[in-house]
Amino acid sequence: MPLTIAQSGVQSIIHEIHGRDETKRFLESLGFVVGSNVTVVSEMGGNMIVNVKDTRVAISKSMANRIMVA
Amino acid sequence: MSIKIALAGNPNCGKTTMFNDLTGSSQYVGNWPGVTVEKKEGKLKGHRDVTIVDLPGIYSLSPYTLEEVVTRNFLINEHPDVIINLVDGSNMERNLYLTTQLVEIGIPVIIALNMMDVVKKKGDVINVKKLSEALGCEVVETAAVKGIGSKEVAEKAYTMAQTKTRTVPQHSFGASVEKAIEEIGNLSRSFVPSEFARWYAVKLFERDSKVLEELHFTKEAQDQIKATIAACEAEADDDSESIITNERYNYIGKLVTKCLHKKNPGMTVSDKIDRIVTNRWLALPIFAAVMFIVYYVSVSWLGTIVTDWTNDTLFGEIVQPAVGSWLTAVGAAEWLNSLIVDGIVGGVGAVLGFVPQMFILFFFLSILEDCGYMARVAFIMDRIFRKFGLSGKSFIPLLIASGCGVPGIMASRTIENEKDRKMTIMVTTFIPCGAKLPLIALVGGAFFPGSPWVAPAMYFMGILMVIISGIILKKTRLFVGDPAPFVMELPQYHIPGAKGVLIHMWERGKAFIIKAGTVIFVACGLIWFLSNFSWSMQMVEQDQSILASIGHFIAPIFAPLGFGTWQAAVTTVSGLVAKENLVGTFGVLYGLADAAEDDPAMIGEFAALFTTVSAMSFMVFNLLCAPCFAAIGAIKREMGGWKWTLIALGYQTGLAYVVAFMIYQIGSVLVLGQAFGVGTAIAILLLAGILYLMFRSYKPKSEQSLKGARLEA
Repeated sequence: MPLTIAQSGVQSIIHEIHGRDETKRFLESLGFVVGSNVTVVSEMGGNMIVNVKDTRVAISKSMANRIMVA
Repeated sequence: MSIKIALAGNPNCGKTTMFNDLTGSSQYVGNWPGVTVEKKEGKLKGHRDVTIVDLPGIYSLSPYTLEEVVTRNFLINEHPDVIINLVDGSNMERNLYLTTQLVEIGIPVIIALNMMDVVKKKGDVINVKKLSEALGCEVVETAAVKGIGSKEVAEKAYTMAQTKTRTVPQHSFGASVEKAIEEIGNLSRSFVPSEFARWYAVKLFERDSKVLEELHFTKEAQDQIKATIAACEAEADDDSESIITNERYNYIGKLVTKCLHKKNPGMTVSDKIDRIVTNRWLALPIFAAVMFIVYYVSVSWLGTIVTDWTNDTLFGEIVQPAVGSWLTAVGAAEWLNSLIVDGIVGGVGAVLGFVPQMFILFFFLSILEDCGYMARVAFIMDRIFRKFGLSGKSFIPLLIASGCGVPGIMASRTIENEKDRKMTIMVTTFIPCGAKLPLIALVGGAFFPGSPWVAPAMYFMGILMVIISGIILKKTRLFVGDPAPFVMELPQYHIPGAKGVLIHMWERGKAFIIKAGTVIFVACGLIWFLSNFSWSMQMVEQDQSILASIGHFIAPIFAPLGFGTWQAAVTTVSGLVAKENLVGTFGVLYGLADAAEDDPAMIGEFAALFTTVSAMSFMVFNLLCAPCFAAIGAIKREMGGWKWTLIALGYQTGLAYVVAFMIYQIGSVLVLGQAFGVGTAIAILLLAGILYLMFRSYKPKSEQSLKGARLEA
């Protein structure tokens, strides 16, 4: 499922990141890689704050939709 | 021998703090990623031959935003002798991702394992020895904030540069990737310098466009490289860049499990605060309340108390009479007495009187920046700004601009999308900066005494203008398209250090005091001269002065806005030099420094020029129109040329004119009960025009921008 519908406070694992562009690369350098643990900290109108590799990263809805977690 | 040592690392990991510690300088440190947008150089304390270079933070050597390009170009093209790689010990996994790339460049690397104070406080244990062996470079534990270890790292880096120690990367990729990299290495050998061979091979494998541009391969070699990459991609069923990224993270993951023992995972304090502060219902009210309190306290409440004292008592009752009587006592000529007392003390004093108020504002802004809230505001505002075609990242420049527009405009560099960036630069100075504060305080004090909302209202009006501009500009050909997706790291909250906040407040406030002593000093002297002499160099009444004749010439332009007097006209123009002059010039013309805001004489002078409505129009025009020369210079630098600078200035002044016109024309009818006239009709038409520009549906003609518009709708 996309990260946007992940429940907040529950840890899940990234299994795919859609797309193939600059932004995907930037997400990867921030720690969003397949196999990473992610936890949603808070959510606001689709935008979310996510905990990944011990950092909090704020991402917009369109980005969160491209990150598939399980 | 001169040595260059570069500080490199992730954003917000303490590079600038260490830089300040090592060089004794006081570069601005803040708690959000992207504070440093330009490289800064300084000499290492105790070693005149060693230059320390502070670089903007980067997540990887494949740059994403403008300031990251600065860092990469410096590291690759100017080869520093040693790189000090700052690694945030409380966030090793992500930080080491960059480290694995830095060690490949071929420049000696030493690691400063920073924020060890935070790590120890959390109870985590890091095995430094293992880490150092695994990475192939020396690791020194540091806590830059407390000045621990910085000196040691620098000394070691210095020794490394002298002994020419080499750093050999210890990690390797999977067998098939290594094979491909080796093949590419062989193909590119004759095109790249040998010490950078591995770095180039890896970058070529990733299809890095900048590296491909830089090297001039034969068609044949290019095809061979392409084939090698394609073969490897087919095998791994992924693109080459992701293969490398994943391999790096796998390697780091294993390394971190070996070297790091974590005490307790789970929710941190920052996460808990974020649950409240960025909560979907509470976030906006909390933000509005915070900004209201900041402006209310620094302008209306505490600010007024101190400003009244400096203006009325310090300058009005002590300095000005004292200087005046001293000058009379030593027998100075009357004109000199007038120049000094009315011109310089009056003008500069009027500005200096507001300095305490600015300091209070800067104090609050420093706290907001230092504690980590600022970055959250960008996130909170993204949801709203996105609807209007701006990214939440645009909000950081706006918040910084509430201190001063120049660093605000420069902060726009962290915005990756070029259109977003240009638009942000255009609207940044709509937010009232510290120098505009005196004007707000003056008008607020004179026409709306006791009202707590004037200052916060001007701040929120600035935001409103940004939003309206966003909507209108996004529907023009110049800016159409989607704002870039918002991705931003949020720093940990921490209690701001008193020392840091005070230094930051002082650094910002100092600039205003210096300005008062230089630019404004000269400007006030000049205004005094022009307002006391006629074209034939005779001392005359103000009405016959040079300034009056210039003012009379410009004044008709402002007449439709309600302030078509020569005094208001020249004041507005003098604001271009520095916005403090808006008050400084009034100070010279009316001797405001020695007049209390509730002084009937001064109210009389001021009220003769303005009504409540025209005062509001005057204030709004000056808040929104073209900024001071320093900010115009910054706009030109960031826009990269005059064309865009002129577009920006034209838009700002045009909008200021239209808004002030509407306030005056419609306000006169509604508030002052004047008759409905031609001006009112035009104002209503303009209002309709703005609403049309805001709500029209815009269909771009070109195929390319069609996609953006569809997504927007």
